[in-house]
Amino acid sequence: MTTSTPDETAASEPVADAGIAALAERVAGIAGSDSWTADFGNAKVRVDRSRWVEAVEAVRDEAGLEFFSFLSAIDWSNEVAVGEPLEDPVEERYEVLVRLSSGRDNDAVTLATDIPKDDARLPTLVGVYGGANWHEREAAEMFGIEFEGHPNSGKLYLTDEFEGFPLRKTFPLLSREIKPWPGMVDVEDMPSTENAESAAAASASPPGDAQEQAMPQGDTTKGDENPEADAGGGEQADSPPPTADRTDGVAAQLPSSAEGAAEVPTPQSPVPSEESEAGAPEDEATE
Amino acid sequence: MSQALDPRAAAHVSEVAVSVELQTPGMTLNIGPQHPSTHGVLRLVAELDGERIVNVEPVIGYMHRGYEKLSEVRTYPQITALVNRIDWVSGFANEIPLMVAVERLMEIEVPERAQSIRLILTELARISSHLVFMSSYPLELGAATPLMHALREREHVLELIEGATGGRFHPNFNRIGGVKPAAGGGSTQKKVVQDLPKNFLAETRAAMDNVLEVCDDIDTLVTGNEIFQARTMGVAVLPADQALAYGVSGPNLRASGVAFDLRKHEDYLPYHKYDFDVVTGDNGDCFDRYRVRVEEVRQAARIVNQAIDDLPGGPLQAKVPRVIKVPKGETYVRAENPKGEMGYYLVSDGGRIPYRLKIRSASFSNLSILPWALKGLIVPDIIALLGSLDFVLGDVDR
Amino acid sequence: MTSLVGIEINFYVLLTLKILAITGVVLTGILPIIFGELKISAHMQSRVGPYFAGGRWGWAQPLADGIKFFQKEDLVPAAADRQVYKLAPYLLMVSTLAVFVIIPFSPNLIAADLDLGIFFALAISSLSTLGVLMAGWSSGNKYSLIGGLRAAAQIIAYELPLVLAVIGVVIQAGTLSMVGIVEAQIDMGVPYLVGGQVIGFGIFFTASLAELNRTPFDLPIAESELVMGYLTEYSGFRFTTFFLAEYAGVFSISAIAATLFLGGYGFWGLDSTVFGPFVLVAKVGLLAFLMIWIRWTWPRMREDQLQTMAWKWLVPLALANIMVTAIFKVVF
Repeated sequence: MTTSTPDETAASEPVADAGIAALAERVAGIAGSDSWTADFGNAKVRVDRSRWVEAVEAVRDEAGLEFFSFLSAIDWSNEVAVGEPLEDPVEERYEVLVRLSSGRDNDAVTLATDIPKDDARLPTLVGVYGGANWHEREAAEMFGIEFEGHPNSGKLYLTDEFEGFPLRKTFPLLSREIKPWPGMVDVEDMPSTENAESAAAASASPPGDAQEQAMPQGDTTKGDENPEADAGGGEQADSPPPTADRTDGVAAQLPSSAEGAAEVPTPQSPVPSEESEAGAPEDEATE
Repeated sequence: MSQALDPRAAAHVSEVAVSVELQTPGMTLNIGPQHPSTHGVLRLVAELDGERIVNVEPVIGYMHRGYEKLSEVRTYPQITALVNRIDWVSGFANEIPLMVAVERLMEIEVPERAQSIRLILTELARISSHLVFMSSYPLELGAATPLMHALREREHVLELIEGATGGRFHPNFNRIGGVKPAAGGGSTQKKVVQDLPKNFLAETRAAMDNVLEVCDDIDTLVTGNEIFQARTMGVAVLPADQALAYGVSGPNLRASGVAFDLRKHEDYLPYHKYDFDVVTGDNGDCFDRYRVRVEEVRQAARIVNQAIDDLPGGPLQAKVPRVIKVPKGETYVRAENPKGEMGYYLVSDGGRIPYRLKIRSASFSNLSILPWALKGLIVPDIIALLGSLDFVLGDVDR
Repeated sequence: MTSLVGIEINFYVLLTLKILAITGVVLTGILPIIFGELKISAHMQSRVGPYFAGGRWGWAQPLADGIKFFQKEDLVPAAADRQVYKLAPYLLMVSTLAVFVIIPFSPNLIAADLDLGIFFALAISSLSTLGVLMAGWSSGNKYSLIGGLRAAAQIIAYELPLVLAVIGVVIQAGTLSMVGIVEAQIDMGVPYLVGGQVIGFGIFFTASLAELNRTPFDLPIAESELVMGYLTEYSGFRFTTFFLAEYAGVFSISAIAATLFLGGYGFWGLDSTVFGPFVLVAKVGLLAFLMIWIRWTWPRMREDQLQTMAWKWLVPLALANIMVTAIFKVVF
């Protein structure tokens, strides 16, 4: 049992961008690549698909990055079934990332390679890093990338009968297909306060939808789950702009809440008053 | 057997001096998904020869919730609510790297006070997580009593977290650019003073004393026990090179003698301001993994005590645009979570939702070494190893 | 026709009455041990323990538990070997209860003072292995099977030091009769624990923990590994039987240990014929407390460590103990 304090310089100095660029350049040299970036503290080296395994092996041995952090992929796709489409069209491809780091200092680098979608194959890294095993299985079932030579091609998370590759951008999120999500519009234009109140009433009124509508609230979600979390004023006073925006979005988007929104003229619908009553004692309790 | 009985082979039997062993068919034992010691819904398909493990295949995914996909349809503030359900034993700590990643892409400077509060709560989450380990691990080895002692103190720590954040397990307390003012605190701009509950600092200090005390209790009750040592010392040794290659991180890696602590190496929170030791083990066996965690609780208490002593004043939130749009870019932020390296690889396209959010969770990699580490052990050692890896299935499956 | 208190009663009726009495007394007698375990473990873990049942201290909790268990459905797994599965708990129970036949509560209060008393006890208590093995095998469950086999291996290993530890006492007392052993201790003035058999007591106590499958030797049950070992599939009444048999085992082994090493019903200055039962029960309580204390403090051993301990330490130690005792017996 030993305790040790690594020397202060390594510990205390924040990572300088220049250092990361230097690291990226050095690793790029080792990996035999001339394409690297060092933005946002992320040293990223792009290697060619044909040199994938040897590049990773060289980086492990020569740059001393022996810690296998993760392997994953990005689906660069112009057509998306979920989320927002890309602003600028990109070349359709999978980008496989592997993150390696040192076990001694803060050296860490992301190696990336592009593989075309119609030929989504890549040699496995299991021989280089044992930890790549599960990560590659995950990437394989999520993106449909075949890792050649992988000892176990079975599915990791999903059932064997599962069809499709969930993390592909073209794979729809079924719950969103059934019921469009109002969360996407929660930061639209600022509505009037009156509007927001009635919308809050609307969102709270259909009990069946309570769960659904709790979720788009984002940072105040917990208010619905743990009433004590956002005790009292939290819901209203905490962050007025998002609340107002959000509830407006709910009212505008959800067909079910449109009925509630019809009650707009009623100045005091029962639900918000209950909320404020419930909030008040807790407010005192906390203070 | 069939070969030995083969008449053509029989002629050579005397020459090679074959010792004819009674071959018993192996047994396939399904451990889990519902089993007292699999921490949830891990399933191990173990091929046994008697009680010795020939091969083991972990089956995971019973807890897979697809957070990476769900993140692609949520705005950044909404993702916070998802990620603290990854490792629910230390929910608060999961939020930090995501927040830091977003802040890094948006180039937001988080106020000092918010950073310190984040740090204090992260360490409290670490203490609570390790206390769960200290309670459950002896239980898995058959000692029921430490459970209650450690959980009692953990409850106090959770009360502190609840007091500050409003939630025991899922605080959802971090905001991009800072932290939420505490329950009942009012808006971020107006009430900067009323951010932590009254007496929070004093109670934290008292709780840290109790935590240190329970560490001593556990030491006398468990650490020195001969049976406990016999069950854990030299069992399931993870050599440093294998641990690194499998991406085993956190206390499990440090127990193998690798002094790798992201709190020292990364700057996601101002750990450099505080004085603490990186605890490492010598052998990488179950006992070291246990000892490292007990010692880390002490170190965490030390950090918390220092942090509440010089808690800086100032605002809780940086100026953040109302609509959080993250500039185009990619970054990876990793943090030293109680379970190990937790990181988010965030790819933004300049919009309000991430284009891709890869969640690197510690337990997933920690557990991936199981097939390698379990070979040749016997059934009771499965439990000793599983417990000492201290994984949470939510953190494995995400 | 036999006479009891002057009334002529048919032999078989008397026998039935005796059996019912012993069973009743024993089963009632172990309730305090169960209750003690609940309360003592609670206090060790800074809990309150049972609190409401019965109005005060939750004294009725073991009863309430028992009634609850009786209400549960008696499940027999489809894969089970039905007859064996159903028989196993009763075999275990019978073997445990039969031991009480030779336990002397006072010079007169003993069901049968056999000449071979202690060997009868050891022989009959080994039958419990058979019950456990049957339960493990017939459940049709791999955890149960491993648990049953572990129990068998364990009892084979620990039966030997147990018997060898007893031999030391037998040599010193010069008799196999339980009453004779107690009287020998009373004649000697001190119990054998002090008077020469301290090592024997240690071995006997350790081995009896293993015989009872109690921590740190509770591998056959080992809930963190084998779910519940050979008990996994049992429910309702049959589970209760196992449960009661376990505590009856605690009682009987403690009583044997008390008789052999702690002077049984004898205590300085107290009349054995009157106070004997109370003295013995007090000693049993002490040993039961020791077992409970150990159970809630220690972790569980591993199978190989358990075997190592039995064969490499306890057996040689017990043999040495016999040798030393014999030498002393011959020389002095």
